[in-house]
Amino acid sequence: MSAGGSGAAAEAIPQNNIIAFGVLGGLIGIYGAYFLVGMVGQYMSFIGALGAICGMVWGAAAVRRVASYGLGTGVPSIGMLALGMGVIAATFGLAVGGVAGPVIALIVAAIIGLMIGVIANKILNMGIPIMEVSMTEIATAGTITILGLAVAMTGTFDFPVVLSQVITTGYIAVIFIAGGLAILHPFNACLGPDEKQDRTLMLGVEKGAIAMIVAGIVATTNPNASGALTILIGIALWYVAFNGFYERTKRDAYDVVGAGMLPSKEELE
Amino acid sequence: MIDVAGILMQNILYVILITLGGVLISWSVHFVPVGGAPAAMAQATGIGTGTVQLAAGAGLTGLVTAGAMMQVTNNAALVIASGAVGAMIMMSVTMIVGTWVYAYGVGCPPASAKVKYDPITKDRQDLYVSQGTEGHGLPTVSFVSGVIGGALGGIGGSLVYYALMSVENGLPLADLVGIASVFAVGIFFVNAVIPSYNIGGTIEGFHDPKFKRFPKAVLASLIATFFCALISVLSIGGL
Repeated sequence: MSAGGSGAAAEAIPQNNIIAFGVLGGLIGIYGAYFLVGMVGQYMSFIGALGAICGMVWGAAAVRRVASYGLGTGVPSIGMLALGMGVIAATFGLAVGGVAGPVIALIVAAIIGLMIGVIANKILNMGIPIMEVSMTEIATAGTITILGLAVAMTGTFDFPVVLSQVITTGYIAVIFIAGGLAILHPFNACLGPDEKQDRTLMLGVEKGAIAMIVAGIVATTNPNASGALTILIGIALWYVAFNGFYERTKRDAYDVVGAGMLPSKEELE
Repeated sequence: MIDVAGILMQNILYVILITLGGVLISWSVHFVPVGGAPAAMAQATGIGTGTVQLAAGAGLTGLVTAGAMMQVTNNAALVIASGAVGAMIMMSVTMIVGTWVYAYGVGCPPASAKVKYDPITKDRQDLYVSQGTEGHGLPTVSFVSGVIGGALGGIGGSLVYYALMSVENGLPLADLVGIASVFAVGIFFVNAVIPSYNIGGTIEGFHDPKFKRFPKAVLASLIATFFCALISVLSIGGL
């Protein structure tokens, strides 16, 4: 059972595999884009967005796990928390870290997340057994999302470039909302007695693809990153993921029928 | 690498101000009448959306007004006052429009289910609460409480922003505004979510029994914000 407020969620894919997928995929995406843009060409910046999608899927899986216990308030709150912690950690990591920036950002995010998880259980008495672990995961996933999308937008994670091209221009708000949506929305939309892990995560991929398209549009304004390939891959990924989500929705639904058009005024009389 | 101890010693006042701002935000959320999804269906008292959205709305409006004031003056009192007024206006507008919708659209009188008499107007409440609901609309006491919440949230948000903008650094102004806003928004969201987990769904205002829980959220925010303040002051001060 994984309806909101009923306890641990059933998992087809073990969470540890998803954690590995998120951390490794995210870091490979971020560093891959950073080095390949320098070596191959600016159009490789799309790999950053793929890394961000790994982070978003991980975040959505962690939200699913912790929100299954019932947060006492809406699921979106935890997505906003993830991005709130993530944006602090990401900015700090890039500002002090140089090439090691993303790794430092992830470590700082994990520390903030763990601290808020401990606070939630020890001071606020939320009583969710996996709160500490999940908060750590969610904060780290939020950081990967922000870093990945920022790299996709600028082609680098050098702090002066990110600061002037992403933060000062305000595109960070786009990352905040598009990335937050990919983390908080999947479980919020799918929760209920028939919630299945693969359907929720597929919705996460779909939302991630939308964020990737948006990042691609922003990248067209940047000399260091190329938007066209990011947008194309994003649209293809969105199409595949949306079809996958729709397939799984049909699989899990008792029946899918067309309701037809609303009756007109004459027909009702 | 940056000189960690030096920057922290130099900016310890701002770390304290940011922490204070975070604590104020956390406290302010307890004043705001949050009804969540039940209120959106006129089945609970308050504004029909979640704590985080409301706190973020009020806080970000406060941040914008504080930022506008900072263009004109560096006087802390004026910046903080303008942040407070901005957030109060935002909260009042949200609540008055909500009340119109409840009164003229849904057709229910504002009534609280948590108290028998409105503590401010002394009007009888329980007679007007529809059966099967937890009250509806925004009674006077919730409205006043919401405005107080807006003021505190705005003061907190502008305090955080003011402190971040005052940290000594070598950035051009446009970049400083960008990075200070990002940190302020991040700190704001963390401090909006912590009290919402403390409240757990809905609250009517300072007359609600749940309001007494606020010391726990304030303590939690104190710890979390202090850490966030260290990180943000370090990264701005190190640039």
